[in-house]
Amino acid sequence: MKSSIGIDENAVVSSKSLNNSKKMLKNMKGRTPVFTYLVLGFWTLMCVFPLYWMFTFSLKSNSEIFGENVLGLPKEWLWSNYSDALNVGSSGDSFWQSGMVRYFKNSGIVTVLTIAVTIVCALMACYALTRMKWKGRNTVNNIFMLGLTIPIHAALLPVFLMLKTFNMTNSYQALVIPYSAFALAMAIMIFGSFMVNIPEELEESACLDGCGTFGIFFKIILPLMRPAVSTVAIFIFLQAWNELMFATIFNSGSQYKTLPVGINEFFGSYTTKWGPIGAALVIATFPTLLVYAFISKKIQDSLIAGAIKG
Amino acid sequence: MDSIRKNKLAIFLFMLPAAVLFVGIIITPIIMSVIYSFQDWNGITEPKFVGFDNYIELFTSKSAGVPKSILNALLLAILSVFIQLPVSLGLALLISRGIKSERLFMTLFFIPVLMSTVVIGQLWLKIYNPRYGILNVLLDAMGFHDLAGTAWLGDTKTVLAAVFIPNLWQYVGYHMLLMYAGIKSVSPDVIEAAKIDGATDWQINTRIIIPLLKPVIKICVIFAVTGSLKAFDLIYVLTGGGPDHASEVPSTLMVHMIFDQNRYGFGSAIAIMIIFLCFFFAIAIKKGIKTEDYDEK
Amino acid sequence: MKIKKVLSGIAAAVLMAGMVSGCGASNEGDNGGSAASGGKKEEGVTTLTLWSIATQSDTFRESYDKAIADFEASHENVKIVHEAFENESYKTKIKAAVAANELPDVFYTWAGGFSQSFVESGKVLALDSYYDKYKDELSEAALKNITYDGKLYGSTMVTPVSVMWYNQKIFNDNGLSTPETWDDFVNVCKKLRESGIDPIATSAKDKWVLAMLHDGLTLKSVGPEKLQKTLLKQGGSYSDPDFLLSAQKIKELVDINAFIDGAAALSNDEASAEFYNGKAAMYFTGSWMGASIMTDAKNPDDFSVAPIPVVNSANAKITDFMGGGADSLMVAASTKNADLSAELAFELTKGISKYGYLSGAGIPAWKVNYDDSVVPPLTKKVAEYANNATSFTLWFDTLLSSEDANEYLPLLQKLYLGSLSPEDFQKEMAAQLEK
Repeated sequence: MKSSIGIDENAVVSSKSLNNSKKMLKNMKGRTPVFTYLVLGFWTLMCVFPLYWMFTFSLKSNSEIFGENVLGLPKEWLWSNYSDALNVGSSGDSFWQSGMVRYFKNSGIVTVLTIAVTIVCALMACYALTRMKWKGRNTVNNIFMLGLTIPIHAALLPVFLMLKTFNMTNSYQALVIPYSAFALAMAIMIFGSFMVNIPEELEESACLDGCGTFGIFFKIILPLMRPAVSTVAIFIFLQAWNELMFATIFNSGSQYKTLPVGINEFFGSYTTKWGPIGAALVIATFPTLLVYAFISKKIQDSLIAGAIKG
Repeated sequence: MDSIRKNKLAIFLFMLPAAVLFVGIIITPIIMSVIYSFQDWNGITEPKFVGFDNYIELFTSKSAGVPKSILNALLLAILSVFIQLPVSLGLALLISRGIKSERLFMTLFFIPVLMSTVVIGQLWLKIYNPRYGILNVLLDAMGFHDLAGTAWLGDTKTVLAAVFIPNLWQYVGYHMLLMYAGIKSVSPDVIEAAKIDGATDWQINTRIIIPLLKPVIKICVIFAVTGSLKAFDLIYVLTGGGPDHASEVPSTLMVHMIFDQNRYGFGSAIAIMIIFLCFFFAIAIKKGIKTEDYDEK
Repeated sequence: MKIKKVLSGIAAAVLMAGMVSGCGASNEGDNGGSAASGGKKEEGVTTLTLWSIATQSDTFRESYDKAIADFEASHENVKIVHEAFENESYKTKIKAAVAANELPDVFYTWAGGFSQSFVESGKVLALDSYYDKYKDELSEAALKNITYDGKLYGSTMVTPVSVMWYNQKIFNDNGLSTPETWDDFVNVCKKLRESGIDPIATSAKDKWVLAMLHDGLTLKSVGPEKLQKTLLKQGGSYSDPDFLLSAQKIKELVDINAFIDGAAALSNDEASAEFYNGKAAMYFTGSWMGASIMTDAKNPDDFSVAPIPVVNSANAKITDFMGGGADSLMVAASTKNADLSAELAFELTKGISKYGYLSGAGIPAWKVNYDDSVVPPLTKKVAEYANNATSFTLWFDTLLSSEDANEYLPLLQKLYLGSLSPEDFQKEMAAQLEK
């Protein structure tokens, strides 16, 4: 079974390091100083407070939110804010016809497609840029950094005109393609920083076993990139899930409205009821927390299993 | 092996999808913005070519206030690199070294990044509110009655600090996650070996982990600097660049020019300047922080 | 991992399909005009698309819905697709749509300077030939802000005016009567401050709120004719001493501490909440506040409304008002159903005028030829003011071109903050308007 030496070796390394890391965890847990927990506790408070605040304001009226009761629990628990939130943009009476459900579905589709497209494109490009030898790759690599530099408001009109030229406004692609392009630079950079740490020996031994370029990419590189993929996926998820301007301008039909655009509908021209906005934001935010908790577990598992340096 | 690394077809295929996306959605708009920046254009009717007029105004016009907005953004970038990143690194080191409920902290610390800017913005408006804001109530309770009446976002002297703090705070979790992933991919063997040699925690952190973390730190610095130079959302929600342009950054100014003033040409010139600054710093940082990178090979 | 692979496969396929179909269609793109918005005929049903800012929580939403239902009921084979967007992002969206020629058949916009470039670019349909039918119900005066170069480019629905909203209960408790002149007004402010009540709630962060007061005071110092001539650059200069007067009055109000603390940091929502809560006694803003008082204030009965006091009685009367028809519907020149779209624009504005008035959301621009006994009293009172008004002048930031308007608002903020003296404010305004 010589054909998969690289993988075997990796498996050996990882099981060894898994044992070690467990041992280490044991060693350290005993003597974590109180000071550490004080720092962590303080920062936790700073981070959890927005969540508490969002949840309480989703149950308040404007007069409580503005001045009467900014911090405390609601005096009057307005659960009706949640039904108001669900009623916006409804096309029928049932829950499944409510606007929030549709926005949710659209955001989900756009986000998942964006993550898939970006990761596929970025992984491939990153491999060619960091592991393969060709003239000008350094320059190309630098040019990709331009993707980090464009302010999206400056790109609004040009991208809109491009999409229109290709007849792509009012569709999921109208968002997936720009989101992917804008996330590409970030993804390539993060992948790059992980990929340089993969020992070249792994590839070389696979090469000796008769793997070609594609074989190395799929069998050696991809499995080792899992922690990086999860990390990047979180960042793309955040960008695509919360983006407002592109989503407002590139799509007009309500069948393609995403969550940020939908929630924006809660703002009136001169007056705004903030309670239902809070409710809608709670509905929009809690799934992201769950997704994050899930992916971060993945990161951790794959990191511990995939420690390859040494 | 060399023939595999130089496989032209593979390189072409690997680069193709990213290149198509990138040229279509990133490069083309940049080129179009360059063209707009040489025009006097309201975004709708016929443009007029004006040469470098917009760029001259960029640096000479007092009323436009571009130089000051750049200084503000640079200040934010400096604070971001020297305050935000060290805090992120510190937190990442603390939680990655095998404390209890590591994953819980990981999740909690990421909450501010996950939340929509609308919530974060509204929250900080409540914190800074001059009448019932949390900050003023606290100051009052601690006996600083003079300070307790301050309109933090309404005073040209305090507004800059007041909008920067939320910006720095919000993205600590973002950098922390990157660094955490980096630390976790350092093999425990190395650390174990150092321990056996009698290294203290501090020595392990500074001599082993941080050097190995350089590629990740480099990326964090690049993200922090370009992010600061482009900072927009939270500042826009909190102050819109005001009062009296005291918290103006290039992006707020650009949006103001393009969409409020209908000066698309001038706004594009600001955009080009932002792109140039970001790119310049990104390349400089990439060259400046040496790592055992593919760059040098 | 399998799921991920499947997804990425799908994504790649979608992407490629997008690119390929895109390339094929690219030639038609320019000629086809507004692909998304043009009327589509399916089985004899004509679909018209309408964009507006009447979001679900907007006070006018109900009026839009009713007016649209009426139109669909009287036009059997017509279907209206109504897409509403939030105010601020809509401004960006509509500009991008004009630039890219992606306008819907009928769209909401603001009259005056905001839409001028839309009209100049030829993307808006002139409606003169359709107006005759509605002449008796909608006066030409109401349409003057949406008439460019002598041609009519839209129809308007409501005539909001700025007024002084005040808390009658606070006034009664402190033995104060409604001020009609500047001196009365200053005395009211001083007395309220002495009794520990914030006289005026306003927002200098949302600069338009402060502008509501300054615009009104300027009108009441300068008078309608001179003001319009100056702002429209038809003779008249901002260097005129009467213009200095209103800037000085703002300064005076700042000096006697008449404004709520920290107004520079408060948004309109935050500042108006202080007014609804009864913590501040007065609020200067448009007639739309009438509907909000009904829903947001704890004791709506405490509130009342009055015209903005006269500063210089030689130039202005109590019956001169700041306001006028700015909310408009326009028809895209690219529409495939010009006649029907034009009819829709007029009929909808008419319907919204009626239903908006009945619900208390707005002051009607169209003739009231229906029973209005259900209109909330505050709105009715403002409507009476509007009926008896001797003049309407559109707000600075609507009347002025976008460039000038966006210079005016920051200058006003500086005046409030004290970093600009009234004299310098006047100088800078004059310089901007002479550009």
